[in-house]
Amino acid sequence: MKRQVPLVLCFLFGVVMCFTQFSPHQYSQAVYNEVINWALIMAPFALIFGTITLIQTHVTRIRRRIEHWQYSFVVFAGLLTMAFIGILFGPQDPAFEWLFNNVQVPLDATMFSLLAFLIASAAFRAFRARTFEATLLLIAAMIVLIGNVPVGDLIWNTVLSWLPWDNGASETRQWILGNPNLSARRGIILGVSLGVISQAIRLILGIERSYIGGGD
Amino acid sequence: MIHNKTILWVLTCLVLFLCGTFAFSQEPAAPSNVTAKDTPNDDGSSITITWDAAPEDSGVVGYKILRNSDAGEFEEVSKQLDANETKYEDKTIIKGKTHAYIVRAITDADASVDSQQTDAVQAKGQWFHTGKTPLFIAMLLFSAAIVWNIYNARSGKEIFVRRIPGLEAVDEAIGRATEMGRSILYSTGLGGVSGVATVASMTILAQVARRTANYETPLRVPSNDPIVMNVVREMVKNAYLEEGRPDAYNEENIFFLTEDQFAYAAGVDGIMVREKPAAVFLQGSFAAESLILAETGNSIGAIQIAGTDSEHQLPFFIAACDYTLIGEELYAASAYLSKEPMLLGSLRGQDWGKVILFAAIILGVFLELSGITWITEFLQRVN
Repeated sequence: MKRQVPLVLCFLFGVVMCFTQFSPHQYSQAVYNEVINWALIMAPFALIFGTITLIQTHVTRIRRRIEHWQYSFVVFAGLLTMAFIGILFGPQDPAFEWLFNNVQVPLDATMFSLLAFLIASAAFRAFRARTFEATLLLIAAMIVLIGNVPVGDLIWNTVLSWLPWDNGASETRQWILGNPNLSARRGIILGVSLGVISQAIRLILGIERSYIGGGD
Repeated sequence: MIHNKTILWVLTCLVLFLCGTFAFSQEPAAPSNVTAKDTPNDDGSSITITWDAAPEDSGVVGYKILRNSDAGEFEEVSKQLDANETKYEDKTIIKGKTHAYIVRAITDADASVDSQQTDAVQAKGQWFHTGKTPLFIAMLLFSAAIVWNIYNARSGKEIFVRRIPGLEAVDEAIGRATEMGRSILYSTGLGGVSGVATVASMTILAQVARRTANYETPLRVPSNDPIVMNVVREMVKNAYLEEGRPDAYNEENIFFLTEDQFAYAAGVDGIMVREKPAAVFLQGSFAAESLILAETGNSIGAIQIAGTDSEHQLPFFIAACDYTLIGEELYAASAYLSKEPMLLGSLRGQDWGKVILFAAIILGVFLELSGITWITEFLQRVN
């Protein structure tokens, strides 16, 4: 019974929500919006649950003196400060906004900026021309890189000025992105779409039960 | 003689005056062929009014739409529309009432002329969107193919599934972590519990958990969504129970980090650097943080198996991870790992869908090259 109820609910809601996509009738759309609203209602409870779990995790870290346990106090300091100001004065309060704009945003930007260096290190490994495929990848990547910057066409028009067409760097880049690259991407998207439908059918029919722990 | 000339002159002036008066006072023709119909394929909240465009030299500079309800007074319901407009969708109707419409043409001399009143019409919602018929048929056919193969698979007939290196390596990764006495890190990505990729990721996690339960290898799952974390806890707990190792399950190993994208990346990176897991699984929906996670995993020497349906992140995973499940392989993983006939049957149904799509593409290309465009037009209607 514990597993039958979720399976029946999953089947019912799966079929109903699927058919609401094909029915513009007001009753059908009302059902769709109502179910979406139910899902939204879960968010505040999830937030409370997440906060409790976060506190539990860090209390355990401090109690057991797990490596770098001192940083858990930073988590509590941030959590309490933002919660205190946010609950008492609201998220529009200047102090709340100042902390968000001057602490969280720069921290996010710092993590994001790491990508520049990580892309360089990943590209260094990926573009080593050890095989035919890797060499093709290297050549395509170099063309796209050069074609992406204005100086690319300048180099093309200067060095390869004897060729019959101008701005070849950006045009070749556009051709690579618009033809072989886009074709491969669309192939992946088609496969993903079919995979999603297949997965959804398995869930709706109750064949895929891992999400409720599997079993019969 | 003089008298005749005077009369002729007076008559000429009179004719010119009358012509000028007629020309300047001529009203534009009233908008013609005005119809009001219930807008098709909607929820019954609009009526579409159409009319013929006025000739370019008619002096019409725009139109206004007037409406009455249940044969009451007419009132304007639109701002002034451009002169080239020939259609207006009235989304401000009162449900349950009948409405008639008049289209008022406005001239550059600020005069106006009204069309004939249309028949009264009442908007009704449609239960089926006829514009989506091809999509609906495709969905039914594809679903039927999958269901047919699923139930056909129950006969026990062996189904061939091509080798997926990323999934073959799951046992290798878990074995390596066990031998090294280190943990396994599993990230379900940024998706919520309603994301299909996250659900697929959780089904793979259930299979991984069955194996770690037997080997007693610690399985760490930092989550960025409290609901996902809760479901994951339940799934992993059940996997350990079914393997007869409830004692090996540690709830604290599945924990919530943060909902913030880069804070999550920083948190997972920190765990990787501190704990140095021997195997890292990155399965689910990922965005810009994919390479941050994968490169950190690479730097600690962990064996990494990634999988995502975000095609923009695939190159990063391919560059930084040992194995990558590309797109649909993520959704095939559960069937592949569990070897359950019914799940494997769904993979065959999926392949049937691919064959149909491939055939449609090839056929479409040949027909287009032959100047026959109906298949392209038919597929464009799906939008």
